[in-house]
Amino acid sequence: MFTPTLDLLLVFTVSMPIVGWAALKIHRKVLCGVYAAAGLAIAGVLLYELFLEVSQNMVISSPHIGVFSAYLRIDMLGVFMAAIFIGLGFAVAIYSIVYMKKETGVPIYFTLLLAMISGMVGIVFAGDLFTLYVFWELMCVSSYVLVAFRRRKGESIEAAFKYLIMSGAGSATVLLGMSFLYGMSGTLNFQGLASAFGQAPPNPWLYLASLLILVGFGVKTAIVPLHTWLPDAHAAAPSPISAMLSGVVIETGVYALCRICFTAFLSVQVQWLSILMVMSVITMVVGNVMPLLQNDLKRLLAYSSIAQVGYMLAGLSIGTQLALTGTFLHLLNHALMKGTAFLCAGAILYTIGTRQMDEMAGIGRKMPITAIAFAISLFALTGLPPLNGFVSELIIVTAAFQSNLAWLGVAVILNSALSAAFYLRIVRTLILPIKSEKVASAREAPLALLVPICFMAALIILIGLWPDPVIRIVQQSVAALFSFSGKVMG
Amino acid sequence: MITDSSYYFAFVFALWAIGIYCLATKRNMIRLIFGLEIMINAADFSFISLATGIPGFVDPLAHSIVIVSIGLAGAVSAVAITLVVYAYRQYGTLDVRELKHLRG
Repeated sequence: MFTPTLDLLLVFTVSMPIVGWAALKIHRKVLCGVYAAAGLAIAGVLLYELFLEVSQNMVISSPHIGVFSAYLRIDMLGVFMAAIFIGLGFAVAIYSIVYMKKETGVPIYFTLLLAMISGMVGIVFAGDLFTLYVFWELMCVSSYVLVAFRRRKGESIEAAFKYLIMSGAGSATVLLGMSFLYGMSGTLNFQGLASAFGQAPPNPWLYLASLLILVGFGVKTAIVPLHTWLPDAHAAAPSPISAMLSGVVIETGVYALCRICFTAFLSVQVQWLSILMVMSVITMVVGNVMPLLQNDLKRLLAYSSIAQVGYMLAGLSIGTQLALTGTFLHLLNHALMKGTAFLCAGAILYTIGTRQMDEMAGIGRKMPITAIAFAISLFALTGLPPLNGFVSELIIVTAAFQSNLAWLGVAVILNSALSAAFYLRIVRTLILPIKSEKVASAREAPLALLVPICFMAALIILIGLWPDPVIRIVQQSVAALFSFSGKVMG
Repeated sequence: MITDSSYYFAFVFALWAIGIYCLATKRNMIRLIFGLEIMINAADFSFISLATGIPGFVDPLAHSIVIVSIGLAGAVSAVAITLVVYAYRQYGTLDVRELKHLRG
């Protein structure tokens, strides 16, 4: 059908409800999660084979003939992004086995989780804009339902509805933008778009299409005036889903912006990137000021995701090879850091049942392993040197200075410094003297929650200390992204 | 090919503007979903009107895109209406102003 990795994910998505039903019949709810995790693990192995193939051939295209086929174009960037999605998905699936134990509808939860991951993998493998759009909607629809998963709670329903309306309007806007691109070039495939618009002088329709697509993907990416759904949706979702939404779903928006910027909008790139540059600074400032006012831990982390998206967009808006290396490295790092942070917040929520920071004072004394992993992820988010967040932010800042955009580099540095204010506040909350009874009687989170957390925290340190192999893969990914412009510009 | 179909574009932009207006001003949750559907229909209509680039030939790509897009819009509105049902059970109203758990 498509490519083995994506096929396998879709097969597991479709078969999950049946397996889940059977598992409930024999009263082994655990099996649902194990099945989903196994599916993601096999998908990871298949992705590795794809990686070996891509590193030899640069690009794999699947033909678009036949009933159930779509045009896929897999390059290093797609494989790199898919590895992030499947990796974080695997950690989240293992974490969810215990975390969702008390909930009803577990098979549906895992089905939707797998559907969301297949959607994201499809987005990064897509070879034309419409395939991208179809998988985009697969991801969006399953994430709406996952945000509303606790359907008896007003908060979840409300957040999901707000998310659906804003994100749906964004998708419709993207589709309208795409229709103009189609009208001008007669094709939606990235290669065709790059050769149709690469050299031709831009006309007003192209500006209009680029504006519509920027706004449409901007909703999902949470660029600031369009970010209002994000804190609600990410706070209301179950914690493993918050980790997915914040860690990877918003990053698919960044990916889509990068991809389209270096194919269809090559001729309007300069104007486009200068708009993005201003937006990125606004995004990071708002994303770093708003958390200062929050008392809800998950809401705070959700706002800080907006700031992190700001850093990634800053990298994209500089637009050099080095800057995009920083952006994509930051994508990986953000998935690890924010994933760990949300999973730790989830472990605390699981143990003491509250998200309010003033009620969880001193929880670190009772849950030392969670607290240490949480602190590592928060220091990495701040951008402290031996951790991975520092490496990618340093690359972005260096690229800004190299391109004579010192003000942007300074903005990123000042924002990281500002962000320390609220990240350190969480760390302080963790080690305050214990006040409430709930915290005093708390115990360390179950092992199944700790395993993915500790593994990801270890990766944060590892990538921070030894980023070279990852940077090499990221550089190949960026080269793959630039290959369209290279061919067109000669 | 994009220049000689200005009536269609006027219609597309009108539909799109109606959709946005509906999302911005209406308070009833069902009406918001209508607004969303109108916006998607604007995009679909735009695809259809742009499919006739070469005289005497209609590009099947645009039509297949629109068919798939209609299906996706159906899925989105199914989810949206499910959410409306649960919101109604929770709050007993369809007015989005009454949904006050979340702030900014």
